[in-house]
Parts: sequence; structure tokens; C-alpha cells
Amino acid sequence: MEKEVILEVKDLDVTFGEKKKRFEAVKKVNFKIYKGETFGLVGESGSGKTTIGRAIMRIVPSTGGDILYKGEKINGAISKELDRKIIREIQMIFQDPQASLNERAKVDYIISEGLMNFEKNLTEAERKERVDQALLEVGLLPEFSSRFPHEFSGGQRQRIGIARALIMNPEFIIADEPISALDVSVRAQVLNLLANMQKKRQITYLFIAHDLSVMRFITDRIAVIHKGEIVEMAETEELVTNPVHPYTRALLSAIPMPDPRYEHNRKLLVYDPAMHDYKTNPPSWVEFSPEHYVLANEKEIKEWVKS
Amino acid sequence: MAEKMLSVEDLEIKFELRGKSLHAIRGISLDLYKGEILAIVGESGSGKSVFTKSFMGLLEQNGKVTGGKTVYYGCDDGVPVELTALKKEKEWYKIRGHEIAMIMQDPMTSLNPLKTIGAQIMEAVMLHQKLNRAEAKKKTLEYLTDVGSQDVERRFNQYPHEFSGGMRQRVVIAIAIACNPQILICDEPTTALDVTIQAQILALIKELRHKYKLSVIFITHDLGVVANTADRVAVMYAGDIVEIGTAEDIFYDPKHPYTWALLSSMPQVGIKGTDLFSIPGTPPNLFTEVKGDAFAPRNPQALKIDFIERPPYFEVSPTHKARTWLLDPRAPKVDPPAVIDKIRNGGLV
Repeated sequence: MEKEVILEVKDLDVTFGEKKKRFEAVKKVNFKIYKGETFGLVGESGSGKTTIGRAIMRIVPSTGGDILYKGEKINGAISKELDRKIIREIQMIFQDPQASLNERAKVDYIISEGLMNFEKNLTEAERKERVDQALLEVGLLPEFSSRFPHEFSGGQRQRIGIARALIMNPEFIIADEPISALDVSVRAQVLNLLANMQKKRQITYLFIAHDLSVMRFITDRIAVIHKGEIVEMAETEELVTNPVHPYTRALLSAIPMPDPRYEHNRKLLVYDPAMHDYKTNPPSWVEFSPEHYVLANEKEIKEWVKS
Repeated sequence: MAEKMLSVEDLEIKFELRGKSLHAIRGISLDLYKGEILAIVGESGSGKSVFTKSFMGLLEQNGKVTGGKTVYYGCDDGVPVELTALKKEKEWYKIRGHEIAMIMQDPMTSLNPLKTIGAQIMEAVMLHQKLNRAEAKKKTLEYLTDVGSQDVERRFNQYPHEFSGGMRQRVVIAIAIACNPQILICDEPTTALDVTIQAQILALIKELRHKYKLSVIFITHDLGVVANTADRVAVMYAGDIVEIGTAEDIFYDPKHPYTWALLSSMPQVGIKGTDLFSIPGTPPNLFTEVKGDAFAPRNPQALKIDFIERPPYFEVSPTHKARTWLLDPRAPKVDPPAVIDKIRNGGLV
């Protein structure tokens, strides 16, 4: 059975600034996300991974290319109806739970702000009911709704951020580094919560992070992005066990593992973009093995097949 | 046995907050030896930063050492200094930077944006090594090279904003080294950095420790980083060290349920499609006196005695001890989680 594509990004370009100061943050990026899966975007800071997420949310305008949600183009000028539909169906969870919640609003308002705009005929009682439900769903107590964000710990705040996204009944959630700002023990709780929500509601995730060890645990497929270009994309286990692109290998070699013997013998690989000879022999997007894509030129493919 | 650099005995630290007293450090004893890297791991709020800040006299105004003592043995004249007895700022100047230096988490905030990198390193060189300008500059360039900076002459005259995060952290390390310290405290030095940069900084710290014969205290919550750098590991929970041992002891043969829980909750050990282990509940409120084993309320397998009496340290081996009643000969046998076997057998990679 053909998997249903929920989001497709085609030749996406995002540039900031003009003329001399022009900076290409995202260059000709292509990927598809299937319904119900968790798709990971990994890269270092400055690689453009967050910009892609923001372009899908339409927080930053795209300069070129298409973003298709359920087959409809959602970047550029779109109809008002489609606009409202996407706002409901695509939600975002942010990195920093300290900064992403309005400090001056109560939890009740933070969570239901979306509802107030989209389900205007809800009665007060119904709205309250929905908020309580959302809070319970993320493992918080309904009585928390009358409190302010500063009264909560980092993990609890992140749960409020998740409840705010969930109350809209989204089909697609962009999670931008949702656990990087959290403490070790709380990370596990939030990761589990996200995974359980997915099982319960068949939500599709775009998971943006720099940490491949977390990615390996939560995603189904991963795209590795370097300086605005996707260099490799494959199913998670395939990518982790058979990395092809030198940048992916370097990233994998840098993951710290909780095993001192392994750590002492670890060989750290360093990626140097100067190794590519792309002036004379430009790279293309090659299907290396089924569903495993890599950016390379013919010469490199031959070398990498051998190793 | 290696030479002792620092020795902490039954240290207690309390903070006065709105008329209430918070017991941040509850009787910690610890020795630091010359040339070793000791990692301190724990959740935020476990007191790991407060503990090490007390070595440099950097506690907040409302924080006081209320019991125990810390003695520093590394002075040139060989006379031990009781750090907990130092009162005046002037006395601290001899220790701070000069004997014990610190690297903070965020390289963005620990550098002065208005001064060049060179001036900031040179300031430390001139203050601590009593050199004239020309010699100090030469020394500064050496330090910059040491921390892996290229084109040092040009770098010397640049400002922090011209540096990437990883490079800034290297500069902060250079400043710390320029004080010529015996002990280097690294407080989450790589948390704000990318993984590839993190690996480079960790390698640098390990290299510099040999070159300058440093003893390093490494504070982190990332057990992967600990496995990479540490010779010995202390696990902190609620203002107490619950387990301490060599890196092998802690990763391959941990004894305290809290250490088990920390190791089990790492995404690296998780199996996709199943729930990752997460520690139930929250750390105890340190405004109220903790009774028994502080971790007991969050430990589903806690024994009755865990709620009544605080466990003493039980020695597992000469290098390894843990504060848990499970090691008492009368305790029932509780097996560590399966994850520990997996780690010991190299089953993660």
C-alpha cells in the first residue's frame, strides 16, 4: 500500500537579507513526510533546520519552491479558508518553555487562546472542559489552569506548551528541539508523552533536533541537514547503522555514549566540506539503496559504496 | 595513592530565603586527587553548582557554610588552606583563579563583549603570573594556540562576537588556564554547544589536564559526557552524594537506585516504540528536613527503612561506595535494571 503523504517540501529556498547581505539559509530542500510517522531533521546550529520548520509554519516566508500540505500549496498567497484550516491542523511545540509561554497570562488562557479564535460558539463551560481535558492528557491537574507560567517547573511548562498544541486537535505537529532545554529525568517524561500522543491520535511529527541519540529513539526517518542542504536521508536505523555521507558519520561519531570503555576507544571523525570536489563535478540527490538518499557526485558514490 | 588536592568533610550549606532555611548541601565528604577528572552528575537543583561554588567563595549572599570544612592542599608553600574559614574577599583573591579556576556553561555571557579576546586573556596572565606586557602577550598567544585557535595574531585583536560558540568556549578555557590554577572547575561547559563541537571541547579539556597537570571537577547532567571524560564519578541527589566510584564502577556496576534510574532514562539506552524509563515524582523540597533516603519517595522498590533512617555509606570496593540500604547485609536482594547489563556488555553500540 502506498503511504499517504501529509506534507511535501519541494525545492524549498529561504533567503534572508538582500543583495550583498543575501544569505541562503535553506537551499533547494526536498522531503516528504508520511501520515502518522515521526520525521526527524538533524543538524548543527545554523544549519537551517529551524528555518525549515518555521517556513512550514509560515512564520518566515519562503523565497522559492513549494510546501504542499495534503497536496495543497500552503506557502505564498493562499485563500483565507485554507489559512484557517492550516492554523488548526499544523501546530508547533517550541524549544524553550521559559520563553514560549506568555508570562502574564494564566494557563487557562494560554491553552485556550486557539479555541477562542476558532470555535467561537463554545460556551464557557465547554471551553473549561476542553482545557481540563487537555491538561489531564499531558499529565497535569485541571486546577493548574488558574496559575501563571512562573509557578511551574521546566518540564511542566513544556507540558503546557504541548497541551496548547493538542487542544486544536492537530494532525501535524512541528516540535523544534522540544527537550533540549529540559533536565535529564524530565526529558524521558516529555519524550514518552509525545510518543503516546502519537499512538493515541495518529499525529504526524516533524521533530527538529541536533541530538542524534534522541532522534534515534523517537524518529522513523531522519534527514541530515548541513548549511541549508539535506545531505542524507533514510530510515532511522538504516541511517544510524549505515551512514554514507561523511557529515552524517561525523555527527554519529560525536554522540556520547554512557559506556566508558567505548568512549575511550572512540574515534572522532571530523567533517571538512573542502573534501568535496563539487566545482568540476557537481553533486546530485542519489538513491543509494532503497529509501536511502545521499547528496553526492558520481565519483563519491563509487568510493562510498566500497567503504 | 595520588596526592590529595582538596578535601571536603561533612560540608553543610544552607540558604536563608524569605525567613525559611533551605538545606542545599547536606553533609558531603569528598576528596579530589592530583591530575584526575572527577565528574559530578545530578539533576538541576541537586546542588552540584552550589557545592563547587563554595570552593571559590562564590556563594550568594544568603548562602552560608553551616558545618564541615573544605581544605585545599595545592598551595606552592605546601601549607593547607581551610577554605571554609576564609572570610575576607582579599583572602579569596589568593585562591580564586590563581589556585582554583572555573569555566561556566554559557560562553556568550562569560566574556566581556567590549574588550578584545587578547586583552581578556592577557588581563588574567598579567594578574596571576606577574609578567610585563610584552611577555604577557607572548604567553597569551601561546595559550590561544594551546586551546586550538589558528591564526592567533589576528584572533588576539578580535572581539567575542567575531567568534563562534565553540571558539568562545575555547577562549574561556584559555582565560582559566592563564590563571595558572591547580584545580579547574568546569560547570556544564558543553551544554550550550553542538555535539561535534562538544566532542572537540571535551578532547581539549582532557589534553590540557595532562599538559598543565590540572585536577578537574566536571559538572554535568549528561552521562554520555561523563563516560567520555571522567576518571571518577560522584552522583548527586538532593544535596548529597549518593554514590561515588570510578567511571567503570558507576557505569558497569552501579549500586544506588538513583544511579540506576539516571542511566535507564537516557535516550541512548531506550528501545524505540517502548516507553523510556522516567523517574516518577519530583526531587524533595529542601526547605523541609529530608527523612531517610531522599530518593525513597520516587523509588518504587524502596524499603521500609529508607523512609525512616538515612543510609550510611556502604563500601563496595576501595574505590566505590554508595549510600543505600540495599547494600546492608540484611537487605533483600534487588537486581539492577536490565539496562545495566546491556551497558556492561557493550550492547549499546
